[in-house]
Parts: sequence; C-alpha cells; structure tokens
Amino acid sequence: MLDSDLNGLDYHALNAMLNLYDADGHIRFEADRMAARQYFLQHVNQNTVFFHSLDEKLGYLVEEGYYEAEVLDQYSKNFMRKIWDAAYARKFRFPTFLGAFKYYTSYTLKTRDGQRYLERYEDRVVMCALALARGDEALAMSFMEEMLSGRFQPATPTFLNAGKKSRGELISCFLLRLEDNMESIGRGINSALQLSKRGGGVALLLTNIREHGAPIKGIENQSSGVIPVMKLLEDSFSYANQLGARQGAGAVYLNAHHPDILRFLDTKRENADEKIRIKTLSLGVVIPDITFELAKRNDEMYLFSPHDVEKVYGVPFSEISVTEKYEEMVDDKRIRKKKINARAFFQTLAEIQFESGYPYIMFEDTVNRMNPIAGRINMSNLCSEILQVNEASEFNDDLSYRHLGTDISCNLGSLNIAKTMDGKDIGQTVGTAVRALTAVSEMSAIDSVPSIRRGNDESHAIGLGQMNLHGFLAREHIHYGSPEGIEFTSVYFAAVAYHAIRESNALAREHGESFKGFETSDYANGAFFDKYTDRDWLPESERVKALFEGIDLPTRDDWAVLKEAVMQEGLYNRNLQAVPPTGSISYINNSTSSIHPIVSKIEIRKEGKIGRVYYPAAFMNNDNLEYYRDAYEIGPEALIDTYAAATEHVDQGLSLTLFFPAEATTRDINRAQIYAWKKGIKTIYYVRLRQAALEGTEVQGCVSCTL
Amino acid sequence: MKDMTDIRIPRAINWNRVQDDKDLEVWNRLTVNFWLPEKVPLSNDIPSWSTLTEEEQRLTIRVFTGLTLLDTIQNTVGAPSLMPDAVTPHEEAVLTNIAFMEAVHARSYSSIFSTLCSMKEVDEAFRWSEENPHLQAKARVILETYAPGNDPLKRKIASVFLESFLFYSGFYLPMYWSSRAKLTNTADLIRLIIRDEAVHGYYIGYKFQRGMERLPEAERQALKDYAFAMLFDLYDIEAQYTEELYDGIGLTEDVKAFLHYNANKALQNLGFEALFPSEVSEVNPAILAALSPDSENHDFFSGSGSSYVIGKAVATEDEDWDF
Repeated sequence: MLDSDLNGLDYHALNAMLNLYDADGHIRFEADRMAARQYFLQHVNQNTVFFHSLDEKLGYLVEEGYYEAEVLDQYSKNFMRKIWDAAYARKFRFPTFLGAFKYYTSYTLKTRDGQRYLERYEDRVVMCALALARGDEALAMSFMEEMLSGRFQPATPTFLNAGKKSRGELISCFLLRLEDNMESIGRGINSALQLSKRGGGVALLLTNIREHGAPIKGIENQSSGVIPVMKLLEDSFSYANQLGARQGAGAVYLNAHHPDILRFLDTKRENADEKIRIKTLSLGVVIPDITFELAKRNDEMYLFSPHDVEKVYGVPFSEISVTEKYEEMVDDKRIRKKKINARAFFQTLAEIQFESGYPYIMFEDTVNRMNPIAGRINMSNLCSEILQVNEASEFNDDLSYRHLGTDISCNLGSLNIAKTMDGKDIGQTVGTAVRALTAVSEMSAIDSVPSIRRGNDESHAIGLGQMNLHGFLAREHIHYGSPEGIEFTSVYFAAVAYHAIRESNALAREHGESFKGFETSDYANGAFFDKYTDRDWLPESERVKALFEGIDLPTRDDWAVLKEAVMQEGLYNRNLQAVPPTGSISYINNSTSSIHPIVSKIEIRKEGKIGRVYYPAAFMNNDNLEYYRDAYEIGPEALIDTYAAATEHVDQGLSLTLFFPAEATTRDINRAQIYAWKKGIKTIYYVRLRQAALEGTEVQGCVSCTL
Repeated sequence: MKDMTDIRIPRAINWNRVQDDKDLEVWNRLTVNFWLPEKVPLSNDIPSWSTLTEEEQRLTIRVFTGLTLLDTIQNTVGAPSLMPDAVTPHEEAVLTNIAFMEAVHARSYSSIFSTLCSMKEVDEAFRWSEENPHLQAKARVILETYAPGNDPLKRKIASVFLESFLFYSGFYLPMYWSSRAKLTNTADLIRLIIRDEAVHGYYIGYKFQRGMERLPEAERQALKDYAFAMLFDLYDIEAQYTEELYDGIGLTEDVKAFLHYNANKALQNLGFEALFPSEVSEVNPAILAALSPDSENHDFFSGSGSSYVIGKAVATEDEDWDF
C-alpha cells in the first residue's frame, strides 16, 4: 500500500497498520503518527468544548462542579495565567496514537454525559500540579515542568483525579491484613468495598485464616478455609468500581506453608469447578527460604495450621518467620500439620502460572532481610512492588476497634529514565517527584478504613518508580541485559536512592518530624548507609561514563554527609521507592513499561476501556530495531540480572514479570524462579507466555507475530 | 471408508509409533490450547453491551446464533464424519479432539447469550437461524457433502471451507467491536475459538493434500474443480448472508473483503492458489491485526487474555537446585 492510500483510513485502521509490515518489510511508524493526527482531526477536536479564555474556562468548570474551587482558590489569577501560558507554550504533542487515545478515553475530564472533552493534556498536567502544590507557586511550577517535560508521571489515580470535584482517591494501592476471626474478615470485606469504590487496587493477606477442616470453638472439621473468603472478595471487587473509571481489582496473598495452599492455587486451574474457580482476583504466594532448602534436599514440606500456630506462639502466623521456626513447629505436637513434596509444590506453582499467569511470588526472607524498617513484611500488593510492615487490628463484637493496627497504602509515580537523563539534573527531578508523592500522602485521609489512615499518617510512605529503561538503552544503542545495560541500571538507581533519601531528609527538617518508627530503623543507626560509604556506585566502563556525562552523581563522601544528616534529622517518608509495572501511564508518557524489556516491537494492548490498540516501543525506528529484542528473546536471566542491579537500591519492591515461549516447561519456570531467588529478587509478578502460531496458520505480515 | 467388519484385530493406539509427525504436532497444539468458556470474565462486558443500539445487539445475537449452528454441525456431523476416513489412528484421535472443541465452541456462544441477553432475545435469534434461508442454505451444502458414502476428500474440502471460510463472516463482528473497545472479553473468547479453528482448518487441509498426492492427475483436477465450484456456491450464499446482516450498519463491503481474504486462506489450506485478487482482499487492518492472539499484552484486571496454555510439566532435577 502506498502512503497516499493511507488517507482514506480511519484512525483505528491506521493504528493497526503498525502491526502489519509494508511491502518492503518495514514497520509503518508513519501510519501510527498519522493515526494520532487523524484522531485529533476526526474525533478529539470536534468533541472538545471550546472556551474563549482561561478565565471563562475555569469559571465554567468550577461553577458546573467539575473542578474543585479550593484547589484554584489557593493561587492568584495572575499566577494561573502564567502557569497555563507556560504549559501551552511547550506545544505538547502525543507521539503515538495509543498515548492520545488512552489519555482521552481514560484520563481527561469529560462532560457528565461522557460525550465531550473539557480538558486537553496541558490542562490535566496543570491541575495536577496546582492540586499537589497546595498553594506553593514555585512548587506548582516545578511540578508542571517535570510532568509536561515527561520526566515525572504521577500514577493513574493521582493523574486522573487531582483537581477534579467528584473524584476517587489519589492513592494507588492498599494492603490489608486479615486475622483469624469473623470480625476481621467482615471488616476486611467492607474495607475492600470502600477502597474499591474510591479507586486503587486492594491486596489482602489470607495467611492468618485457619484452614479448611480446622476446628472452630474446638469442634473439628468446621472451618471452610480461605477459598470462600476469596469468593466473597472476588464478588466484592466486581461490585465496586471508581465511578466507572476503573474496575475494582484485588489480590490475595497466602504463605506457601498454609495448609490450604494447593486449594488456593487450584482456583486458577483451567478445569476448576465453577464453585471454586477464581477469575478476576489475583493470587500471590509468600515463599520463605526454607521452602527452597527443602526442595533442594527433595524433602517434604510441612504445612502448619495458622490457628494452632497462633495458639502456641501467641501471635498470628504471619508474624512468624517460617524459616526460623520451621524445625520447632515440625516437632511441636500442638500444631497440626500436613506435608507435601516441596519440589512438587514448585512444579504445581509453575503449572498454574502456565495456565493463568498467577500466582505472584514474594520471597519472604529476602524481603525482610533487605527491609530497613523494624517489623515484619508478610505480603505485597496487586502489582507486587509494595513491601511495607503492618500491624494487626483487633475488633469488638460491634466491629469497632479494640486495637487500631496499621495497614498499608502507597502513592506511586514514575520517572521516565530517558527524559530524566536528558534533563541532566537527577537531583531536581527526583526531589520534585518525592515532594509530589509526599503531597499525595499528606492530602489523603482514608477515614473509611481507619487502619489505612493510621498507616499513612504515621509513615508517609511513597513509591517512586521508573520506566523507559529499555527505550533509553535502545536509543543509546545498548542492549537490554548487556553488561553496560546492567551497569547503567545500578548507577542510575543508586543515584535515585541518594536523592530520594536526601529530599526526604529535607522534608523531615522542614516538618521537624520523622516517620513513626524511624528511631528503630537502619536509617537511624546508620547501618543502612554502610554499603554506600564503603564503596562508590559510579560508572566504570567508558560507555556508561559517557551516558552520565554532565550529570552529577553522588560519591561515597556525599553518602557519608547524607548519613550524618539522616541520623541527626531523620526521614519524613518511611518508604521511598517502589517500581510499578506502569501500564497506562507509560503509554501517555511514551515510554517502555517499567524497567522491563519490551514485550514486542509493536505491542498489542488490550484492556476494557480501549479495546485493542497497537503501540510502538519508545524511540524505535526501522534503523535501530536490533536493540529492541523483546522479553521472550532476551530470556529470564538477563531480565533478572537487570532487576537484581536495581533491587539493590530500592527499599520496597519492583514488579518483575517473567516471559516464556509456550514451548517452555514448568522446569524452565522453576529454574527462573530459583535463579531470581538466588540473585536477591524480592518479588515476581506475572508469568507471561507467548505461543507462536503453528506454521501455516499465522496472520501474514504481522509484526507482533514474527519471532 | 472403514466399516466395522474391518476391525479384525482391535489395535491399541500407540503414540510412540507415529506415522505422520503432523498428527502429534497438532495433537500437542490442540491439547495445550484446551480451554473452557468459564475462564473468560464475560460479565465484564455487560456495561459495554448496554451501549450497543438495539439493532446492533440484535445483529450480534444473530451472528452468534449463526456461528452456533456451524459449530454444532462441525461437532455432531463434520468432525465425526471425517473419522472413518482417517488414515492413521492418531488422526482419529486428533479428530475426536476437534469434535469435542467444536462442542465447547457451541457451548461458549450460549455462555455469551446467558451473560448478556434475555431469554426472549435468544429464542428469537434461534428461531431466526432456523428460518434464515442463507444460513440454512450453507448448512445444507455442507451437510450434503458430509453425508455417508460421499468422497472422503470432498468431505475434507467442505470441512476446510467451514472452518476457514464460513465462520469468518461471523467472526468479523466481535473483532470489529473489540477494535472499537466494545465487548472485549467476548472478543477474547472468540479469539480463543479462532485460535482453534485456524489449527483445525490447517490440519484438515493438510490431510486433504496428503490424500490428493496419492491420486492420478485427472482425479486431482476433478477434485480441484469440485472445490472451486463449491466455493463459488458458498460464496454466493455468504455474500447474500453478509448483505442481509451487515447492510444495516454499513459494514458489508468491509466484511466481503474479509470473506475474500479468508476464502483465499481456505484454498491455501487445501493447497490451491488464491481465488480473489489482492485488491479485493485488503482487510481492514484493525480486523486483520485483531486476529492474532499471541503476544497480546492485556490488562489482567479487566480480562484474561488468550495466550495462556496448559503447560508441559517437567520435574526439576538436583542440578536445578544447586545453590
């Protein structure tokens, strides 16, 4: 097809041409650019409400109840004109169709009937900046700068909701504990409903709930175990969504040594009975080191009744290190137990991952060893990047709190690595991002779930993430997973860690307060900083040195100075970094997702709101394709090595997806899991599979179909 | 055709002595691709379904009823009728799998109906399918060819046309909706069906070609003429069926281009050259690209995707646990 033939096509067809090679075997990037243009010409422009001036627009949006007046009232008219002018002067354009399409279908403010657009991209960015800066003009200006330049992108709930009058919460993610009693389960389901209604994914810990067949009030074979709780949760999540903007989504975590573990996994089997099949709830398994040791020896692994463990130790099962207490619990007659073969367990895990992509995995002991905060981490969240300590709540019969514990929430946002490097000022970008995320924490008060509110108030935990690693490396002609790629990752993440801690220390100084529990953390005693003051984390190869030219990197002396400052003045945020998978926001930000390799040169993206759309990897053109080997070609080891380099400098977790061709076996998946555990990876997110079409049945000339 | 008296020595199927490697390859593919409609969260499409106009809803139900009829034929008559012609026991086994999966497909449409529509609408559509002359005509053409006593290779031709051609006037619509962000979970389910049908059409076509190789040139030519004549007949019916269904929403031309593309694909499966020139087989890229199930990066929270399979279980060895 000639370019002139493209004219008659609508934007969906133009976008889809990305996935079909032209006659010369080239990818048709121009068709996608034209799709983005046509989308504006054929659709966006004619459906956008026009205003003569900024005053008229803001007046209308406030009066009609679209914008929150309180946000705008904090600023002078003069300043608002200034920030809007500055934003529009940047002449922002979406480089891909999916970026524009995703923004207009999912983020921008629309009239109540959903028919017309009230905001352009610049408006959303400015509103977000104004809301988060809470009246500080200079800060609002730097938020706008960092966002519109593409260096910093707040997570979906923040970017979607900030400044709007009727909106969900700004927080991305919630994690709740459940304890072994009906009050806690009931309250947990209510909390899941409340949090889903307000937006954000919710993860719940099932480890403490007694197993199927356990006694209740001393009568044997009474408990129904964790599956019915999962069913209740699944239905709760499908009932509640955030004003229709986001579907409720939830995850549940269970310790590998819980007696219901195999039932738990079987809910995702292809041939599972409808009564126990779990379709939309995500599963996660918490695996301690001992499970690996047992599998190594090809031993049986014992599963322990949480009810008995709690009776014997006086604390919930999730407070116990299974690795530490394993032999003791095996020998304790009071704890009922059963056993399964440890290797067979790992194989079952991999079988289920083949069939469904689930469960996520959290390597419990790695996570707790690397946690600088006092307390125990027993679960992760819907995207397996949040790793924080929690505390159980106790309830009275009327469901009021006898003891208010703490649950976890997290405010996320990600830096575009390529844009941050281009900006040459990592300190400024990271610092601004930390302030924006802290603002989300300070502006949030989830009163419907008091344990979440308390957790947030006391910790101001945030999660600064990263994206576009592969795009950046490829643009610089470095292969993902190569020694240079890994070296860059290590240096970059060390620099981000330094600046995040520096900014949080500055916040502690300004507020005159630290997060609760600072005194007992490895930050307070300085132990956290040892690995940064013992050696430098600076580039060594010429290639990587060149990438950082003109960029200030922290030396071990800088770290030593920071250590002193932190030990004296504290940190405002208990948690700072977490690298989320970045789906939607990486499309509007024109990035490759997270620090993953690309899934395909042309990614087929499908989700409820946008249908099936095609997305070219960032910075890719027909001349640099060799640097865009996809995750299936790169293989699990290079990916794990890259993540290991980053994990070293991230206080929470990183969503790590493993990719396999469908011809792989469960053994391949197990080996990758063992390798990841050995390399100090904290969590594994999805397992994704790609099945090549049987020769002779493939769609001809399809970019994403060729291997 | 093998008749029952032929079985003098009942033989057990031995998968360790495979005469045709294709049987094993396709068997493996079909078994790892096993799925049931329950895996797809169809109920997530309910809000999207209610955004369709009444006319669009009726069209969609009718299209699926048409597909149900074809799957029913293939399940109860088509695949079983090919079994006596099988030249290897493994081919028979593959055909039983095909027959079963066709039943799963037919079952799936009912899952869609029960999730999205009212009983009354569904009953109306089933009545429509029984009375629609075009739908009945194509069913008849296929069923006549499947009839006992007919030439085994002709049966394979009919089967490939059904699997690789006739289904697609129906598949077009869910692909079209999903490219417009509508009924995306239904589209996932249909894509699972397409994933199966692509392999079915390919495999039966492959067996047809092996059968052809053993025939003298004159018979080969006669079969080829027969295939093209049958395709012309089916195309005539299909074109009218398409007009009747799609004129209302103005998609007829697009669907026809898609039919041409798939007719060529069916002929290719039989080892014949394309019939329709490429100018009239230019499928709307949004539809063509939507056909590929692999490497889709779906959002797990709103759907289940169509790329997961039943994995091959292999136990780990001591060396794997070397740490």
